[in-house]
Amino acid sequence: MDLNFTSEELAFREEIRDWVGKNLPKETSHKVHNALRLSREDQQGWQKILGKKGWLTYNWPKQFGGPGWNSVQKHLFEEECARAGAPRILPFGPVMVAPVIIAFGNAEQHKRFLPGIASGEVWWSQGYSEPGSGSDLASLKCRADRQGDKYIVNGQKTWTTLGQWGDWIFCLVRTSSEGKPQTGISFLLIDMKSPGITVRPIITMDGEHEVNEVFFDNVEVPAENLIGEENKGWTYAKHLLAHERTNIADVNRAKRELERLKRIAKSEGVYDDARFRDQIALLEIDVVALEMMVLRVLWAEKSGKQSLDVAGLLKIRGSEIQQRYSELMMLAGGPCTVPYLHEAMEGGWQGDIAIDRFLLPLAGTYFNQRKTTIYGGSNEVQRNIVAQTVLG
Amino acid sequence: MDFEFSDEQEQLRDAVRRWVDKGFGFERRHALAKAGGKTREVLAELNELGLSALAVPEAHGGMGFGAVEAMVVMEELGRGLVNAPYAQAALVAPTLLSYAPEALQQHWLPKIAAGEALVVLAQQERASRYRLDQAATLATESAGQWKLTGTKIVVPAGDEADAFIVSARVAGADGVALFVVDKGAAGSQVRGYPTQDGARAADLVLADTPATLLSRDGLAALEHAADVAIAALCAEGVGLMDRMVAITVDYMHQRKQFGVPLATFQALRHRIADVKMQLELGRSMSYFASLKLGEPAEARCRALAQAKVQLGNSMRFVGQQCTQIHGGIGVTDEYVSSHYFKRMTVIELSFGDTMHHLGEVSARMRDSAGVFA
Repeated sequence: MDLNFTSEELAFREEIRDWVGKNLPKETSHKVHNALRLSREDQQGWQKILGKKGWLTYNWPKQFGGPGWNSVQKHLFEEECARAGAPRILPFGPVMVAPVIIAFGNAEQHKRFLPGIASGEVWWSQGYSEPGSGSDLASLKCRADRQGDKYIVNGQKTWTTLGQWGDWIFCLVRTSSEGKPQTGISFLLIDMKSPGITVRPIITMDGEHEVNEVFFDNVEVPAENLIGEENKGWTYAKHLLAHERTNIADVNRAKRELERLKRIAKSEGVYDDARFRDQIALLEIDVVALEMMVLRVLWAEKSGKQSLDVAGLLKIRGSEIQQRYSELMMLAGGPCTVPYLHEAMEGGWQGDIAIDRFLLPLAGTYFNQRKTTIYGGSNEVQRNIVAQTVLG
Repeated sequence: MDFEFSDEQEQLRDAVRRWVDKGFGFERRHALAKAGGKTREVLAELNELGLSALAVPEAHGGMGFGAVEAMVVMEELGRGLVNAPYAQAALVAPTLLSYAPEALQQHWLPKIAAGEALVVLAQQERASRYRLDQAATLATESAGQWKLTGTKIVVPAGDEADAFIVSARVAGADGVALFVVDKGAAGSQVRGYPTQDGARAADLVLADTPATLLSRDGLAALEHAADVAIAALCAEGVGLMDRMVAITVDYMHQRKQFGVPLATFQALRHRIADVKMQLELGRSMSYFASLKLGEPAEARCRALAQAKVQLGNSMRFVGQQCTQIHGGIGVTDEYVSSHYFKRMTVIELSFGDTMHHLGEVSARMRDSAGVFA
């Protein structure tokens, strides 16, 4: 047993740190460090920079253009990006749809879709949830009817994150109503410029436009956009979940945000208040414990010797911690977080207000983070999964 | 980074587990506890396995093993609910003695390694709570002979010990010093009592009792030994929780209410998921504790305090919830799980409770965060 990284791993980290330091635009990292609004250019700009370097595909198998990193190297890469204030790599393309295309798509689909994902040029969105299908995803109703060499898609998807900027959307659609709900679902790739698609914003309680509704009205999709076999989409989607890594705990961002919380607590004079400081100390212990759990999982993956059944735990704990630090930041900011200035979330804003700029987004972030225990399989669903592993 | 146990460490684990399975069932433990909690005979059996020599340096007749071996042994002793003061005898005392002059080490360490001497720390006093730098016990020196006067409480296995390592303040000086006092030394009295966890402790009353100086700078040694003890208790806690959860899971499959097993109720299934969370967080922080023992004092103290908070919270949650899930049977003396709960509780009250160590983490907090901060 040894907690320390090897000298090779430390050298690898140095290389990443050095490169990220030189290539991450300062304007972007400033926004991330201060929880300001990120534009499409901030998000996609960084992904393209990574794409050019060949690191946007850091999760991919080597033969498909991945860098061939092991689980610890991937973690160190994520850690250095988070530390430097890089925007989170949006998972929909490189992390979510690409592994499915790689595992279940045909050679033609590989050639057609993977390069655009690897370069960061093509913006992908996710079409899973529907108004009537949240935690019970398999009950989804959005239909794709086969007509000759195309599918006709009718229905609605929702909670489509940043779908307003999407070029393509990968959807779970109903192709059969026979048998169990899970066995009538297919995995379809749809060009968002297709006639009949309407994207409508959903404004969340922080006043931000992050998620959308997507409507499909007789949308024609070429049959060649079907991944794998018809009615096998649920299996492919589950494959994706099984390969979701420790990334979901987002412990690297938690470390960065905990350091920010300490800075805010100091500036607002509550760092030396024992009641407040103890709450930070408790969160620090939570973060260390989560990081230890992540490191255990990484090692198990790297060594391939034992599997750790804690993925559900990582999602639950990671999301609770995200909510907690955003809550404590808002509480540290206190009354200064009460003003709501939508425009103050922009990088270039210079308003005349007697409150330090960095305090203004804190309440909004707190409201925004309520999503973390709901999305990606609500924490209650995760508890069902954990209980299944313990109790059968 | 490596979270695998070596073959040797796995063999050590197997040896302790086999001994527990063969020779330390719940009935024996219950009988020992009912008889007052004296367990020197149990310690002797562990010593026959060679465990007394585990942490003693090879130069003094020991095996010179490290923190991970100690963790492995403690996890198994926890799983088996072994109520002998192994950590005190074989881990804490050798750590304290490593700060002693060579002659004193030479006198005690080979005996400890051979399992011939039980030496325990007598640090706590009525007013000191968990503060290691506090001692009302007074040390005076005249004509080259040290004498101690004061009262120590909850000294582990006090009336079975052969010697005590006693903290005291030195008249006219700052800080605490450490001394060795032999069993039955002039002016000393030991008053033993059973403890909540089926073990045994004692008051140690000293009146002008002759003592041998171990270290004038006792705090550094005490802090180090306390951290060794905390890592051991964390590992024991993991073994205790692991077993208590397994017992509870079995019970949930057996016990039926409303015509179905408890394991089918979602309210209880979610509770078990939360219990599993606390168990795994605890296990992660137990590893953290043992792997941080070799750090410089400041980083070590910070890490061990973090671990003790996590294990304190984890054990309290797991203990309380597993008791709750059992229903009535969980609160009885005849059923095994209540004894796991009580041992976890006493661990929380040893070497600093959760609030004490939260204070330590808070005071030692730095700008950076995380495992490698």
